[in-house]
Amino acid sequence: MGIIFYKEPKLEKPDMVACWPGIANIGVLAIDTLRRQIGAEEVGEIEPWDFFYPRRVILKGGVLEDLEFPSCKFYYKRFENKDLIIFIGEEQPTDGGRMYAEGIKAYQMANLVLDVAERFGCQRVYTSGAAVAVTHHALKPRVWAVTSRDDLNNELKGYDNTILMSEIEGTANGGSITGLNGLLLGLAKKRGFEAICLMGEIPDYLSSAPFPYPRASKSVLEILTSLLRIEFDYGALDKMSAQIDDIIEGIYEEFSSEIKERLDQRKSIFQAKPETITEEDEKWIKEHIDELFKKGGSGDEQPS
Amino acid sequence: MNSPLKFSWQPELQHSSLVVGWSADASKLGAKVTDYLNRKLRGQSFCEIEPVDFFPLEGVTIVDDLVQFPECKFFLCPEKNLVVLNGAPPRYQWYKFLNTILDVAENYCHVQELHTIGGMVSLWAHTAPRELMGIFNSPQLKEDLSHYKLATGLDYETPPGQRPTLNSFLLWAAKRRNIPGVNLWVPIPFYLVPVDDPKAQRRVLEFLDQRFDLGIDFSDLDKEIEQQNQIIAEMRHNLPDVDKSISMLESNLRPSEEESQRLVIETEKFFREKRG
Repeated sequence: MGIIFYKEPKLEKPDMVACWPGIANIGVLAIDTLRRQIGAEEVGEIEPWDFFYPRRVILKGGVLEDLEFPSCKFYYKRFENKDLIIFIGEEQPTDGGRMYAEGIKAYQMANLVLDVAERFGCQRVYTSGAAVAVTHHALKPRVWAVTSRDDLNNELKGYDNTILMSEIEGTANGGSITGLNGLLLGLAKKRGFEAICLMGEIPDYLSSAPFPYPRASKSVLEILTSLLRIEFDYGALDKMSAQIDDIIEGIYEEFSSEIKERLDQRKSIFQAKPETITEEDEKWIKEHIDELFKKGGSGDEQPS
Repeated sequence: MNSPLKFSWQPELQHSSLVVGWSADASKLGAKVTDYLNRKLRGQSFCEIEPVDFFPLEGVTIVDDLVQFPECKFFLCPEKNLVVLNGAPPRYQWYKFLNTILDVAENYCHVQELHTIGGMVSLWAHTAPRELMGIFNSPQLKEDLSHYKLATGLDYETPPGQRPTLNSFLLWAAKRRNIPGVNLWVPIPFYLVPVDDPKAQRRVLEFLDQRFDLGIDFSDLDKEIEQQNQIIAEMRHNLPDVDKSISMLESNLRPSEEESQRLVIETEKFFREKRG
């Protein structure tokens, strides 16, 4: 069980951004878009075979040529003031088909990622995921922030469209972030890193839809790139958002007028308490989305 | 960390070959072939892999009123330098599990060649010949086995949404240790998947018999094949729908999904009634 390094770049005070797939792939889409746009280079990978079952075999002329596993790769990019390391895991390691990473494998993988952060002298580690919220898809998704220290919370308060988890109605007593995007945060704190998780809001009625939610990924990136002081072009994400918005509108039109009415009330952001959907409505919506998409990807992080 | 291996005795082998069969296989092909080898060659169990690291052990499953428990046992057929593994495929920690197998193979048995067995669900009729296909982890072994009747030219990539077989994973892990290996695949008619396919067993066993000069007398298996053919003939006589579906398969035509499902259900039911 180990890490393979392709090169050993000297990095100046790097931060690390790490992410695994989750609900609507909000975090992974954000971080992978960032990686592509800044042209981050591969620096190494976690040997995946200890964590995953292979996903593809390639045979040529009856001879096994390759066996592919979900990748767990590290990238780096040098900037003027502060360099950046990115980690993207293509899957969360799970035992016996569970949805969320947990237990020994999750712990081992999170520690390997932080070993790399330590090796390159990172002080700060970011993770990202989804915040399932009582909101509406027409509203700009906010970014829920959770950190490892009070001074980091204060730092985050200064950013637009960002809200600490404790400020969300019903979460005053805290919540949880399941899966590796949460576990890494806890381990990072334990190992003395500054740790910040940025979670893009997704409406509760879309949380089991099998497509990404790029509007939330964009919100996450707006905060993250500000924190990292990176100029960013959102053109690609905006284009993707427009396509997904059309799909969502199509689904929304299929909702009953009663449900739509209740959901539409959420658009009035000044109301004291957004209207929640009933359990019955939620069941109907989930069944409806399943019918349309034969339920695909599923998530991990779900602050509650 | 404790080793998951539990030895009852340690074999002394200068060189050997390993044959691996899994209990969860189409028509139980892997388990049937390894059981047959152990029976015919007086295989003696010398080691097992403890299940706790690899299976959920949340209880037990019951099949045909019998308790099932995941077992993975190594047998030695001493006169033939043949090591046989009959095992349940692990539910997790696959790489560790496969390396545990290869630890036994390499460190205790000095295995020089690995053979795994797998049944492929096919749309062929039971009357069609069972062609044996080889997938290799070394071009040299492919060359070495070129004079056997094996189909050896497959180009393949796992389609999206599917996963490679455990045999492919084992073959890959063996390659990392420079242990040459071959996966032996036999097509199993889909309606024989819930019951036995002695014809497929014989095809694999024939190959192993030739490869390792085992001198096996297959008359018992031939009798079993004959009995199965008789049961299927009787089923076809009694159930015209089933006969129609099998006739279609024999003519390279594909029965509808409904007809195929019925063929599977009726075959299983008929065999159960006949065999009690």
